Amino acid sequence: MTKRRPNFVIAMTVLIIWSLLPILWFVRMAFMNHAEIANFPPHIFPSSFNLSSFVNIFGYDYKLADGSISAASGQAGQIELGLQNSIIVSAAVTLITIIIVVPLAYVFARLDFRFKNVLLNAVLLAVAIPPVSTLIPFYTLYVQLGLVGTLPGLIIIDLTTTVPFVTWMLIGYFRNLPPIERLARIDGFSRLHTLLFLILPLARSGVAVSAIIAFLFAWNEFTFALVLVNGTPATTLPAAISGFLGQDPNPAQLAACILITIIPPALVAFFLQRHLAEMNIADPVR
Amino acid sequence: MAKIELRQIRKSYDRYVAVENLDLDIIDGEFLVMLGPSGCGKTTTLNMIAGLDYPSQGQILFDGRDVTAEPPHGRNVAMVFQSSLLYPHLTVRKNIEASLRHSKLSKAERAQRIADAARMLELEPMLDKLPSQMSGGQRQRAATAKAIVREPACFLLDEPLSALDAALRLSLRSELVNLQKRLGTTAVFVTHDQVEAMTMGDRIAVMSKGNLEQIGTPDEIYNQPASLFVATFLGSPPMNVVAGAISNGVFHAGPVAIDLAGRGIPNGPVSLGVRPQHVTVTAPDAPGAIPVTVYALEHLGRESVVIGDDATGNKLRALVDPGFHARIGDRLGIAPEAGACFFFGADGRRIAVSSSPA
Repeated sequence: MTKRRPNFVIAMTVLIIWSLLPILWFVRMAFMNHAEIANFPPHIFPSSFNLSSFVNIFGYDYKLADGSISAASGQAGQIELGLQNSIIVSAAVTLITIIIVVPLAYVFARLDFRFKNVLLNAVLLAVAIPPVSTLIPFYTLYVQLGLVGTLPGLIIIDLTTTVPFVTWMLIGYFRNLPPIERLARIDGFSRLHTLLFLILPLARSGVAVSAIIAFLFAWNEFTFALVLVNGTPATTLPAAISGFLGQDPNPAQLAACILITIIPPALVAFFLQRHLAEMNIADPVR
Repeated sequence: MAKIELRQIRKSYDRYVAVENLDLDIIDGEFLVMLGPSGCGKTTTLNMIAGLDYPSQGQILFDGRDVTAEPPHGRNVAMVFQSSLLYPHLTVRKNIEASLRHSKLSKAERAQRIADAARMLELEPMLDKLPSQMSGGQRQRAATAKAIVREPACFLLDEPLSALDAALRLSLRSELVNLQKRLGTTAVFVTHDQVEAMTMGDRIAVMSKGNLEQIGTPDEIYNQPASLFVATFLGSPPMNVVAGAISNGVFHAGPVAIDLAGRGIPNGPVSLGVRPQHVTVTAPDAPGAIPVTVYALEHLGRESVVIGDDATGNKLRALVDPGFHARIGDRLGIAPEAGACFFFGADGRRIAVSSSPA
């Protein structure tokens, strides 16, 4: 282990506190009761690890140590639906994004064709437009098409953001791969074979990171979900959680929900961190 | 093995013409080097022979068969790319095997071929390694093994040695030529390195700006350059060029006067070319010598090169004994040997000067 300079240690400490303190704050809230949360000055750690919020949000009563009952949350139905729908939406968005984006980015990065620059600019323009600006047009369109409050409607909207953004990211990655298409043509491989069996294995880090980005976007997406599916059977987890702010204020249960919400992205990031690191290297092959 | 003929090949990209009216006959079994600066069309030509690129006009024949529109594997060519390109995620064995994908060999025959190629290039211990686990020279050998395993009609090599260090390049140069001669397979080798061209090629095709300047043996290219471009592109240190004019059969350039009377050369501007080994260093005011100011003295060990600026700033070079001493700024004269001079017309073509007056 090389000796770290003090400046580096200070910078890392600030960075870690900066990013982890808010997480610590709501994690401790998830294990507290109302009185403890309201306490001032606040406690850094909960006095007892109280699991009632986690049980309550799934619709069950919880018997506390002193014999009193912590009642099931009124939001439980929405939370369960939201969890289920979030998994469906995120999986679908991730899968469809990758299926569309891999060939799209490959073609832009590695082949020449007519109107390539115009089409590429169109993709990049879609990245530059803030998703919220399309919210109202989408809403009126969706009312006419009957897509408000449906999962396919939400999936389509998520794709309008993930597809251009991930394409833009993967183009750069594909460009850095060695020119093995020429080798493949000499060997007589078809273009499809070259893409599927020669380029894709080389680009697996790029594809994995693309999948993570599409998944995280769909999993975290809040604005569209709030407007299009909140309160319907197609609600997603972030929209359902927002209920704890208005209809049924309960900071402990809100914190418990958020904790459950961040577990899947954290797992994804943890298991794919090798690929994330590899994306930062200029030459992806060596 | 194949004889390759290029007939009136033209290749243009939109308005940019990469290759213009190229006629080239590649003899069966020869090692042809295509030499030229970057952007001269040599790699484009190689790609068209390979089938990676198709000519806008013209025909390509392999042993008399028109293959102009055929894809690469239909032509049975093997290619070694710049920096010895291999599939990075496949082992050397898989890389070599990919070359045999379109052959109808049995499994045992394939294994035999791969083993033979690996033995020939001393790759046996590396067969299960990935390209990233090997050195530059080993990767080059693996790329060569991948090429020979197919027993192709011809080898096409696109600057395969350019990414290697000088010592390795030197040993792989002779290794490649030796292998090509043993197999007797036609080879086309593209390079911008004139030393590689001179040492490796049976013949050299010199290209410039999409045109074939000259094709010939290294000896012909060096001693009978067809144009000023060929003359200055080959040879190290490069040829000296002095601008002058012919009047009444005598070439004049400052104090230099060379009598070419009776050889039928019309009056007009002419460039004189003379290699650094064919000049003598004299006093600055010696008759027939161009006065120069010493710019640099380069020691090559066996000899040295004096570089001097003449009055117009044109750099002239002279080979001298290693014991030669001069300081930067010294005044010297450089006198060309009349018998060793080339003359080039205003169009850059060499003017034939027979050795004796007609």
